[in-house]
Amino acid sequence: MSKYLDQSILVIHELLKSKKIKPIDLVLEAYERIEENKDLNLFITLNKEEALKEAKLLEDMEVDNLLFGIPIALKDNIVTKDLKTTCASLMLANFMPIYDASVVLKLKKRHMIVIGKTNMDEFAMGSSSRTSYFGAPHNPWNIEKVTGGSSGGSAGVVAARIVPFALGSDTGGSIRQPASYCGIVGMKPTYGRVSRYGLVAFASSLDQIGPMTRNVYENALLLNAIVGMDSKDLTSVSLEKEDFTRFIGEDICGMKIGVPKYFMSDIVSIEIKEKMENVFSLLKEAGCIVEYIDISYIEQAARLYQVIAMGEASSNLARFDGIRYGYSCKDPKDIDDLYYRSREEGFGEEVKRRIMVGSYLLSGENAKKYYDKAMSVRSDIRTSFLDAFKKYDLLVGPTTVSCACDIAEDMSDPLKGFMDDVLVIPVNMAGLPGLSLPIGFSKEDMPIGMHIMANDFDEATIYKLASFIEEKLALDLCPRGGNYHE
Amino acid sequence: MSNYIPTIGIEVHVELNTNTKIFSNSTNGYGMSANTLVNEIDLGYPGTLPLLNQEVLNIGIKACHVLHCKIRHEMHFDRKNYFYPDNPKNYQITQSRTPIGYDGYVEVDVDGVKKKIEIEEIHIEEDTCKSAHRKNVTLLDFNRAGVPLLEIVTKPCMTSGVEAMKYIEKLREVLLYASISDCKIEEGSMRCDCNVSIRKNKDDPFGTKVEVKNIGSISSVGVSVDREIERQAALYDKGESFKEQTRRFDSKLNDTVLMRVKETGNDYRYFPEPDIPYIHLTDSYIENVLSSISMLPDERREKYKQLGMSTVNIEKIISNKSLSDFLNSFLTSNIDMQIASNLLLGDISSYLNKTNKSICETKLTYDKFIDLVQKSSHRELTSKNIKEMLVDILESDKDIVTLMKEAGISNITDEKEVLRLILKVIENNGESVSSYLEGHDRAFKYLMGQVMKESGGKIDPLVASTILKRELDKK
Repeated sequence: MSKYLDQSILVIHELLKSKKIKPIDLVLEAYERIEENKDLNLFITLNKEEALKEAKLLEDMEVDNLLFGIPIALKDNIVTKDLKTTCASLMLANFMPIYDASVVLKLKKRHMIVIGKTNMDEFAMGSSSRTSYFGAPHNPWNIEKVTGGSSGGSAGVVAARIVPFALGSDTGGSIRQPASYCGIVGMKPTYGRVSRYGLVAFASSLDQIGPMTRNVYENALLLNAIVGMDSKDLTSVSLEKEDFTRFIGEDICGMKIGVPKYFMSDIVSIEIKEKMENVFSLLKEAGCIVEYIDISYIEQAARLYQVIAMGEASSNLARFDGIRYGYSCKDPKDIDDLYYRSREEGFGEEVKRRIMVGSYLLSGENAKKYYDKAMSVRSDIRTSFLDAFKKYDLLVGPTTVSCACDIAEDMSDPLKGFMDDVLVIPVNMAGLPGLSLPIGFSKEDMPIGMHIMANDFDEATIYKLASFIEEKLALDLCPRGGNYHE
Repeated sequence: MSNYIPTIGIEVHVELNTNTKIFSNSTNGYGMSANTLVNEIDLGYPGTLPLLNQEVLNIGIKACHVLHCKIRHEMHFDRKNYFYPDNPKNYQITQSRTPIGYDGYVEVDVDGVKKKIEIEEIHIEEDTCKSAHRKNVTLLDFNRAGVPLLEIVTKPCMTSGVEAMKYIEKLREVLLYASISDCKIEEGSMRCDCNVSIRKNKDDPFGTKVEVKNIGSISSVGVSVDREIERQAALYDKGESFKEQTRRFDSKLNDTVLMRVKETGNDYRYFPEPDIPYIHLTDSYIENVLSSISMLPDERREKYKQLGMSTVNIEKIISNKSLSDFLNSFLTSNIDMQIASNLLLGDISSYLNKTNKSICETKLTYDKFIDLVQKSSHRELTSKNIKEMLVDILESDKDIVTLMKEAGISNITDEKEVLRLILKVIENNGESVSSYLEGHDRAFKYLMGQVMKESGGKIDPLVASTILKRELDKK
């Protein structure tokens, strides 16, 4: 079996360019690896026929960019024309979109090849991908463990080295938390950086698409490909074109790094804090200033998140009514029956719970009492973060309070799930960029992630620090090791 | 029936004259085959986001201005959440918290008394799709989904059907003239919902409110309001009460019919639309938009009056915006506006109606019209001449002088020559002259006929009859 997909993108690119391999070799290898890792349940839909066709077409074309001919997997809430997009829900189990998301068009422009659509929490609602209608994906590091979520499938396929690239979406940590659990690099860009057109909305004011990759450099490369103002998304921001890899490898001496105290408080497991302390030492040795700081209201972020995300979700998911697309109940008596039963049967428990809570939160006077209030505290959190960035180049802390739990673990307490995300949510609240980077393993041999946060649109500085730490730690990050890595 | 004080407030929805829809690039059109002016945004497909058609904002700004509303500089859109099959996202994007305009008025004239109808607010929103109910199915046409609307809401400040009708008439006229909407009630591009209640005394609280929808024409506005007032009065007279409700006007029954009783606590779960950033309008932006508004009807009325046009002609011209627009290019060209308006309202209008053309589709150029009006006021062209030449005037590239030459029209405008001809007729028709002098009007007509015959039809009859009369009266 070939092992091209274990190589770095630069190596693969050279092989393609010198015609030593063809895109189809990579595609076939990806599908072999999918077959080998079937037990992980990482994909919902494969795009094999089209991917092979596309790879064939690319053979006659000039290899014009680093991402040319490289396979990529997409979270199944990013719509793809003529390729099923289910959002891991019975509601859209057979939904065939009539258009491509703007990010998908950007990937196609670079001639990347979409291998398939990855498993996730239903409509991205969850922290372990276990709310998927198609069953939970498994963590490549330990099949008994969750991948995290909601972009669990995307994290899993990169961790398992099935494809080098995946896209996820992050509303309240859904890229960074599974990246941390699976030992990969996951970036949630600044809100407005990447077009949301074609991302099935969960919470519009928070959702953001981002890259999930094996290492820091490749993460920056993929971000290069997907950013940019999109006339179809009014919340996307127009900025000068930049290369996110440009600071990678630069000296970090003199960087000022803040550590919000909350991120190193008792809620975080001791072994994770130890790994962080280890990183702090590395940074100080390299000449960085590392200081503990306070960010106001940060401990309230998860509560605010629930109000805002569920409120918006209750409205965003209203369109699934059984009329124009998606699941439609059998033999409805009348229009109300069509609404009630299609939604009752088509949505899973967690989705329905959040729609109900969200509807309540926006109902009558509650909108002012809860949603408006949450939005106002949210802007206070943002102000507090922005104040911190007047003094510090970056903020860091752990990505999660603990490592991936067992799939079998009880998930009946809805509030417990949010605990997994208390450290990632504040960044969504503030609209800022954040990245999770593997920094070691727990006693149970599960990956531990570090969270690097930056000022608005300062992703490039995150990559600078992340690449330094990555190089220093030089971790072996291949699960199911023996297979591809000796 | 006892006397009651009616209170009427009106909500008007107008569809805007934009090229594309408010939140997508689909064409904004009427009368096309079902579901042909539709894309994924209009259908509320998963993953879609709204665009914002700048033209809609601009029209909103104009509407605020012409309805004397204050314009909000900081605003956003809101989601109004409710399930209905004609509502593709099951929420409507509208403005609930920050309507673009507020505190305005429309001035109407009711029986010679001027009254300001106060406008509470104007907000921008999207139209729903159109549903048609058949036996067992409901058909949905999304061509209308996302058509931009302005909703114009008055305060509860009207007191009669006539007032309501005058308000709608005036509103329609202003919106038409500011190019905001084509305001076709029959096609649904203007829709009026009247809220009607009655009470016994001025100091009583408002009576139970009834909303009357589905009003199909301007004249129905007044009728439906009056009928509803009578209906409520009859109920109160009988000692009955009723619940807040929505009724529709049935023009065949000439009465309102119950649609539904209002449920208490309609909960639309409004919240700010997160997909559209907040909008900030600067003064210079607003000024720039307003500079493109053409002259409004009341100002035109004033101008036309100053230029000597009769009240009848003024109203006729105002009621036809394209004629008024045409006429407006001659406001400073020093032509006789009464003659100009007569020409437009007479033969020209009937030609346009017959051929279903608008004046700008003809070859009646600026210079040609000035020539026409001047030749007409100098009696070089008679109305008979114009009738004969009309098609050529409107449809050929030739100028008036050439057309006159071709038609062999060279009217006798020299007064001495006219006088010579008239005196000749008087001399040769002694009998008729005597008959006229004895008071027989018929004789005058006969003499006029002789004058026209003698001149070969080349004297302006108006001029001829004036001189003939003057000469006869000397006898």
